[in-house]
Amino acid sequence: MFNFVQGQLVSIAVIIFILGLIYQGIQFFKLTKKKEWVFPPLPVKNKPEKKTAGQWMNQCLSSLNGTLWETDRVLTIVTSVFHICLIAAPLFLLGHNILLDQSWGLNLFSLPESFSDVLTLVVLICGAYFIGRRLFLARVRAITTAYDYLILLIAIAPFLTGYFAYHQWFDYDAVMTLHILAGEVMLITIPFTKLGHMLFFFLYRFFIGNEYSFVRGSRTW
Amino acid sequence: MTHQEMKPVDTKQIREMLNRNKGKMKRFLSYCAHCSLCAESCFLYMEHHKDPQYMPSYKAINSLGKLYRKRGKVDRKLLTEIKGIVWRNCVLCGRCYCPIGIHIPSMITFARSILRSQDVYPQPDEASSESWL
Repeated sequence: MFNFVQGQLVSIAVIIFILGLIYQGIQFFKLTKKKEWVFPPLPVKNKPEKKTAGQWMNQCLSSLNGTLWETDRVLTIVTSVFHICLIAAPLFLLGHNILLDQSWGLNLFSLPESFSDVLTLVVLICGAYFIGRRLFLARVRAITTAYDYLILLIAIAPFLTGYFAYHQWFDYDAVMTLHILAGEVMLITIPFTKLGHMLFFFLYRFFIGNEYSFVRGSRTW
Repeated sequence: MTHQEMKPVDTKQIREMLNRNKGKMKRFLSYCAHCSLCAESCFLYMEHHKDPQYMPSYKAINSLGKLYRKRGKVDRKLLTEIKGIVWRNCVLCGRCYCPIGIHIPSMITFARSILRSQDVYPQPDEASSESWL
């Protein structure tokens, strides 16, 4: 069981994850079409003026006006930190990168172990905050189903078990097997569940042209 | 009983309509993280003392979401409930904001067109009455 979870199932999960994302990406481009401009945007003739660091900072801060930063600052910070740590912690974890190097020859930059431990703890604290919101905030509770808790559990489980494994709490082998299994479940479910917003956030906000796009957007539904 | 209330629901037609837009709409519904961050962008939500039923996501989930969950097998009672959500609770101003990028107005518009296909829509006297507000 442990050998299967640690060996073949890892490859299966990674393949399903990558193929699933490719499939969803293709579906997105099939469902959308290239935007036809009624009034094509005017070409920018002048080169943008060079800005000082202060001007850049001001521009960045003013672009936050009217965004979620104004309506819910705590959540904006928590969700941003959560998502950054969610990607950074497993990707730059020394233990993962040693295994990646040994099995697939991939050599990634690694963060110090103690720092990765802090990032993991941050993910867990943010996860607890999200659970608290779902439980105690009326507006979130109104649209919350058991499925939302399951998705949150799938996202947090690899970090919780990873934290236990690093600190060698409980039975190490059992926790390690659960950790690998939780990671695999997460990878497999990303393309086919709500977690797919990992891909669709970028597709919707960068490719679909509308008022809230980050860029002009070249496609439309 | 009005003509609207007597007409049987054509579930086959509803299913066909749902299937036609399945790719886009099901994705919108399934990628909604239920985060409620769209709430404050709705002026009706703000005006109704932050009543959750005016949240854009709540409206989409409980109208189009319900139609998809039930695969179109709905009765007139449910369609009448959805009518209140998509016409009374939403004016389709298009101001709702989703951090993931889900286009909520298109979901409400689609729910409205499904309801219209079944002759479910607000009557002129109904929409102008005080109870509507």
